[in-house]
Amino acid sequence: MGYVLDVSGVHRIYESAAGYTHALRGVSLTVSRGEFLCVMGPSGSGKSTLMNILGCLDRPTSGTYRLEGIDVSELDDDELAELRALRLGFVFQSFNLLPRATVMRNVQLPLIYSNVAPSERVERALRALRSVSLPAEYYDHRSNELSGGQMQRVAIARALVNDPALILADEPTGNLDSATSEMVLKTFGRLRDEGKTIVLITHDPEVSQWADRTVHIRDGKLLTDEEERELVQSMSAARPGLGAGRGHT
Amino acid sequence: MRVRDLMQETWSALDANRGRSALTVLGIVIGISAVIAMTSLIGGINKALVGELGLSQAQLVYINLFVDRDLTYDDVDKMARDLTDYQMMVASSYGSAEVSTGKKKGSGNLTGVKPAYFTATGAKFVDGRAFTEGEEHSGAMAIILDKEGVRTLFGDADAKVVGQTVRVGNDECTIVGVVEGSGGSYMSGEDTVNAYMPFSTMATRVVGNRSVSQIMGFAQEGSNMEQVVDRTKDYLALTYNIPESEREDSIYVYSMQSMIDSVNATMGAFSLLMTAVAGISLLVGGIGIMNMMLTNVTERIREIGLRKALGARRSDITRQFMLESICLCLSGGLIGVALGYGASFGLTGLVAAAFMGEGSSMQVTPLIDVGTVLFATIICIVTGVVFGWYPARRAAKLDPVESLHYQ
Ligand SMILES: Nc1ncnc2c1ncn2[C@@H]1O[C@H](COP(=O)(O)OP(=O)(O)O)[C@@H](O)[C@H]1O
Ligand SMILES: [Mg+2]
Repeated sequence: MGYVLDVSGVHRIYESAAGYTHALRGVSLTVSRGEFLCVMGPSGSGKSTLMNILGCLDRPTSGTYRLEGIDVSELDDDELAELRALRLGFVFQSFNLLPRATVMRNVQLPLIYSNVAPSERVERALRALRSVSLPAEYYDHRSNELSGGQMQRVAIARALVNDPALILADEPTGNLDSATSEMVLKTFGRLRDEGKTIVLITHDPEVSQWADRTVHIRDGKLLTDEEERELVQSMSAARPGLGAGRGHT
Repeated sequence: MRVRDLMQETWSALDANRGRSALTVLGIVIGISAVIAMTSLIGGINKALVGELGLSQAQLVYINLFVDRDLTYDDVDKMARDLTDYQMMVASSYGSAEVSTGKKKGSGNLTGVKPAYFTATGAKFVDGRAFTEGEEHSGAMAIILDKEGVRTLFGDADAKVVGQTVRVGNDECTIVGVVEGSGGSYMSGEDTVNAYMPFSTMATRVVGNRSVSQIMGFAQEGSNMEQVVDRTKDYLALTYNIPESEREDSIYVYSMQSMIDSVNATMGAFSLLMTAVAGISLLVGGIGIMNMMLTNVTERIREIGLRKALGARRSDITRQFMLESICLCLSGGLIGVALGYGASFGLTGLVAAAFMGEGSSMQVTPLIDVGTVLFATIICIVTGVVFGWYPARRAAKLDPVESLHYQ
C-alpha cells in the first residue's frame, strides 16, 4: 500500500507586483494512511502555501505531488474540483461556514457538488455530525447561531462527510480559546483513532502534541531530522515539558 | 450539481438580499409592464374594432351624398341593385324628440331603421327583439332603446322594460327591445337617450318625409375596400350627375377599413414608443442587475472560494450566478406582467377616447394572451442571461486560494 500523500521536490514561487516570493523551496513529504501529521512553523514559513497545494487548490511551480497515487499536476481544473469534492476535506482557521444555512445544509455542501442523492446526503451528514459529537438539537440551527467551538466542529463534520482520503486543517484552533481548542483537537484525535488521515497545520507547539508526527517548516523548507532534534532540544530547554507529543513514537 | 440543489442555493442567496433585489428588478418591472400594457391594449382595440359586429366592421362602408334633393330609401335600393360590390345596404334617418316615462325624461336621439339594419350591424339584443317587416310596413309605434337609455329613463340599465311604453314627442311607443350599446353615436350627454324606431314611423312621425341621412354598405367578403370605395364614388358621380369639381364636397364614401388602418398606424407609432420605453428600461434594468450581481460576487468571494474548495466546478459557480440573475429578471417580469395588465385595464377608457373620439361607447377589453406572457418570459430569461453572464464568469474564474483569504 502506497502513501496517501507523496510530495517530492515541490517548489512554489509567487509572482506579484512586488517581485517573486519563493514560498516553498523543495519540500518532500509522505504521509501514510491513518497518520495524523502536524506541520509546524512560524508565520510566513509557507505552511498555508503547502496546505493549498496538498488540498489541490493550488499547483506547485515545480516538483510532483501524488494524492493516492494520482499525479495531481496532470489534472485540469474540473478534475481537481472533482478530487476536492470526493477525496479531500478542509478545516479552516475561520471556519468558513455559510452563515445563513443550517448546520445540516453546511455539512451536506460537499455532497451537493459530488451529486450524492439527497436521502444519502442526510444520512452521511448525520453520521459526520455524530462523530464530532455536536448535540442533535443544533442540527437545524443556522451556523451563525453557534459558538466558535461548535462552528469548528460543524466544519470538521463537513470535512468528514465525503469520507475523504485526507483531512487538511489550517490553524483550526487559531480562533479558539484553549478549552475549546482542546475539545476540537480531541475530535481530531478521535478521528485519527477511527483511521482517518489528517494533516494539521499550526504555529502552536501545544497543538502538535496531539499528532503522531510533527514536521517543522522554516522559510519554505522542512527541517531535516538532525535540525529537528536541535530544535526540539532548544525548545525543551526554553519551555520544559513540551518536548514530546502525545502518541509520538 | 443537481437542479434542485441549484435552485435551493439560488433561492437562499436571493432571499438573503431581498430588499436590494426588489429595488434592482424595478427596471425590468417597468420594461415588461410596458410591453404587456402595450400589446394587451392594441389587441383589445383591434378586437373591439374588428371583432364586435356581426358583419365584419372592416367590410363596412359609410356613404353620404349631398345633392340638391333629399335621398330616399328608393335611392338606396337602386344603389344596392347597381353596386354588386355590396352584399347588403341599409340606411337610416335621424331625428330628435323628447323621450319620457311618467317620471323621467331625456332628449331622444332617434334613428329610423329597417329591420335588416340590426342583422347587418350585428346589434346585440339584451332583451326583446328587432322590428318586424310588419311593424315597418304599418309604421307601428315601436321603439328599441339601448341600455344607457334604459338607465336614463328607468333609473336602472337592467330594468325589464320590454312591453312598457314611453312617450316620444306626442306619441306613445311600445318598447320591443333593448340593445347593448348604440355604437357609433358620438353625441352622448347626461340625458341623451339613443333609440331606434321603424324607418316608416320615423318618416311620418318625426322627420316628416322619407329621406335618409346615412347609408351603410357591407362589401362582399374579401373585397379590396379601397377599390370598393373608388367604384362607389364613380357610380354616385355618374348616377347623380356630379361634376368633377364638386365631387370632393358632395360625395363622402369612407370605409371602416381606412379608419382601422389609421388607428393601426397610430397604434403602430404608439407601440414603437412603448417598445422604445420597454427596450430602454430593460437595458437600464439589465445593467442594474449586472451591477447588483457584480456586487454580489464581490461580497461573496469567500463563499465562492469555499464552494470551490469543497468541490464546486467553474460550471457550478457559473450556473449558480446565472440562475440568480435569471430568477431576478423573471420575478421582475412576473410583477411586470401583473402590473402591465393592471395598467392596461386602467387605461382602456383613456385609450378608447384617444383613438375613437371623446364619448365613444366603444368597449375595449385588454387582451390577455398566453403568447405575450410567454414572450415576456423569454425576454426576461434572455435579459438575465445577457446581463448575468459577465458577473457569473467573473465568479467562476476566481482563484480558490485568493478567494478563501479575501477580506
Ligand atoms: N498569493 C501570494 N502572492 C505572493 N506572495 C505570497 C502569496 N501567498 C503567500 N505569499 C508569501 O509566501 C510566504 C509564505 O506564506 P504562507 O504560506 O501564507 O505562510 P504561513 O501560512 O506559514 O504563514 C510569505 O512570505 C507570504 O508573504
Ligand atoms: Mg497561514
